[in-house]
Amino acid sequence: MTEGAECPGDPGAGAGALWDALRALLPRTKEELELELGSGVQGAVRLLLRQATELFYGDRLSECLQASEAILDYAWERLNTGPWQDVDKDWRRVYTFGCLLKALCLCRAPCEASAAAKALRVCDLGLLMGAAILGDILAQAAAVLQAHLPSAQRPARDPSQQPPSPKRARREHASVPDVEQERAVPRLHRPSLQHFREQFLVPERPVVLEGVADHWPCMKKWSLEYIQEVAGCRTVPVEVGSRYTDEAWSQTLMTVDDFISRHIVSQASGVGYLAQHQLFDQIPELKRDIGIPDYCCLGDGEEDEITVNAWFGPQGTVSPLHQDPQQNFLVQVMGRKYIRLYSPRDSEALYPHQTHLLHNTSQVDVEQPDLEKFPMFTEAPFLSCVLSPGETLFIPAKYWHYVRALDLSFSVSFWWS
Amino acid sequence: MWIRRLQLLGGQRLAVSHQWLICKKLLRFQLYPWVPATPAGWQPAEGAAGHGRRATRGLVRLRFLWLRTGAGLRARAPGAGRVELSGSTSGVADDCRDAWASEGLLMLIRSRTDSGTELQAWAPDSALRREPLWTQKLALESEVEDKARDEPGTGSLPLLPCACAYVSPQPPFCRPLAPELRARRLELGAEHVLLLCAAGQVFSWGGGRHGQLGHGTLEAELEPRLLEALQGLPMAEVAAGGWHSLCVSEIGDIYIWGWNESGQLALPARSLAEDKKTFTEEGLNGDGSEVNRTARAEDGASAPFVAIQPFPALLDLPLGSDVIKASCGSRHTAVVTRTGELYTWGWGKYGQLGHKDGTSVDQPCRVEYFVEKQLQVKTVTCGPWNTYVYAVEKEKS
Repeated sequence: MTEGAECPGDPGAGAGALWDALRALLPRTKEELELELGSGVQGAVRLLLRQATELFYGDRLSECLQASEAILDYAWERLNTGPWQDVDKDWRRVYTFGCLLKALCLCRAPCEASAAAKALRVCDLGLLMGAAILGDILAQAAAVLQAHLPSAQRPARDPSQQPPSPKRARREHASVPDVEQERAVPRLHRPSLQHFREQFLVPERPVVLEGVADHWPCMKKWSLEYIQEVAGCRTVPVEVGSRYTDEAWSQTLMTVDDFISRHIVSQASGVGYLAQHQLFDQIPELKRDIGIPDYCCLGDGEEDEITVNAWFGPQGTVSPLHQDPQQNFLVQVMGRKYIRLYSPRDSEALYPHQTHLLHNTSQVDVEQPDLEKFPMFTEAPFLSCVLSPGETLFIPAKYWHYVRALDLSFSVSFWWS
Repeated sequence: MWIRRLQLLGGQRLAVSHQWLICKKLLRFQLYPWVPATPAGWQPAEGAAGHGRRATRGLVRLRFLWLRTGAGLRARAPGAGRVELSGSTSGVADDCRDAWASEGLLMLIRSRTDSGTELQAWAPDSALRREPLWTQKLALESEVEDKARDEPGTGSLPLLPCACAYVSPQPPFCRPLAPELRARRLELGAEHVLLLCAAGQVFSWGGGRHGQLGHGTLEAELEPRLLEALQGLPMAEVAAGGWHSLCVSEIGDIYIWGWNESGQLALPARSLAEDKKTFTEEGLNGDGSEVNRTARAEDGASAPFVAIQPFPALLDLPLGSDVIKASCGSRHTAVVTRTGELYTWGWGKYGQLGHKDGTSVDQPCRVEYFVEKQLQVKTVTCGPWNTYVYAVEKEKS
């Protein structure tokens, strides 16, 4: 992304203001920057963190940069050892600490054009893999950096690429399934809490809820332009490849602008999907555009325990048939999705993978099943729907679901218990 | 006449040491970040001065230590069996038969006439004073001791001399091994274990999410499982990196598997290709498609990137050289050929590849330093982020 390579006006001024704003986020004295860490983090690492802090407050920033690189590399190795859920949270906090120092050190250099963008990317990696420290200071640093970045050039957008109207979609071969022929997920308009609990939550039945999320600001505000404006320069994880069960599937990091250029405006780089990412923790401005479905209060957990994920991608992204351990509200914001639901009672007919890694995923390609390999699959009953903007789908815990985007699509999911 | 020399390579450009030390079976660690190791002068065991005699059992052997953090551990063997700690802590332990260190623990095998032979786990902060964190008596039959003396390299930590157990940096510190395995050599990765048995077969177990077990899946294994892909090929060496594994056959072939995120398998790595692009580069063609990011094989055909290699792959060195020794760091690999050359590849950010810079490479590259200085490399051992080499001057005819 070749942004303006020259600093506007006086090269020193912009960088100076940025540095001041970032420096102001940090405590005045180095003692206040100390992290409280448990015994999982060895004394030698704590020594390194102290050394890095001293270098920073001693204004020896090139050395501090090297020290923070070592902190990041060391913590990265700990984050990649063992299953993610078993990683000691302290290592994630150490990682965030390293990102914070590195981002600040990068911004000290007088007017390196890409310094702010590099620093923002470092912050985003810390937000992605780290854990909040010092009152979520990394998110604040990211906001400061984002405000200081020159507005990115918008990648050339093909004006003829409008989301296909339903009529046009039907003309395309096999694009929209004929849901009239399939058993439909029931639809209700704003049922009462009690009705929802008695008829759907407790008996574990899916339902499409209308009139619940359709007034959220995102429904009117969100568009490609708006997303680029609010989040374009932020780094996000993107899944590349048609579906996560494919061999060629991989995950990579790129800015939202890059994602839109490579995988939405043009699909010459193959299918890319910004999937299952807690975008709203990373970019609080977007969080203000969404709400939380009222029915979540029927669960046992606290509101801050609800996992909110963004699902943003072009037409054609597929989530293979799988189940999740928690209750799910899937809110559709942009575009439409074709969704099929199978009951956990029929799990056997869905041939889940035997491996531990994929035991929650079916081996069957729902819309093109290999019936020789998976003969029982045709017998399995299912419900289906086309979820349109403003609608909310309730997917009970462990309910198998298959999702394909019929248009450029943005969904928000709420995992709750 | 063999001459042992200490060599220091490279400058202070990079944070963690990338200095090459040449000393026999003795590892030096640099204090993080910039203090160079003082020239060692390896002290031969008594009676061995000036001769190429192998170390006697009194010599302490240290594997990797945590040089990249503040505390360094330096080993010296001024006399038989002494381990000295220096760096952010200092301490001394005598009567050591073997030593092994990990991130949070120093393991010693100590033999004292009064208390017998004992396995001791020490916290680094303890400076080897007062009591160890944990001890366990070891019953060592004399024949096992003799074996250890004659074949240094067999039964060394983390494998216990009796070959019936191994040490682990996490509790339980001492873990049993089935005697039927007849373990000859054992190596620990970040989340897996590799074992070479007396018959030259390789076993692996532990976490497998990065393919480091070599059984063709990403599943973990709770018990040692034979690498069937290598059955029938007798192996001479095994080496475990953070998330990758390597073994060397008796005829000098390398088999390698596991995670390739920094090119440590010498297979095309996506991250290396991406790092070649500068940060602000567009990276897009005119029609919006990505610049072709597949790797290029030598013959020009495009080879796909490999992130994980879940079963052993044969690796050929340039010129088809035979390999006699191999070692893996956290994310890099080093091998020594029969002709005395050193090849390294993988993560190079801290200079651990010895190519005088901080780039990572995803194919075997010869370390030219030894060629230029006319040194014959004998063996190599990798720390997590650095590499230790033993080399001697080529005999002048």
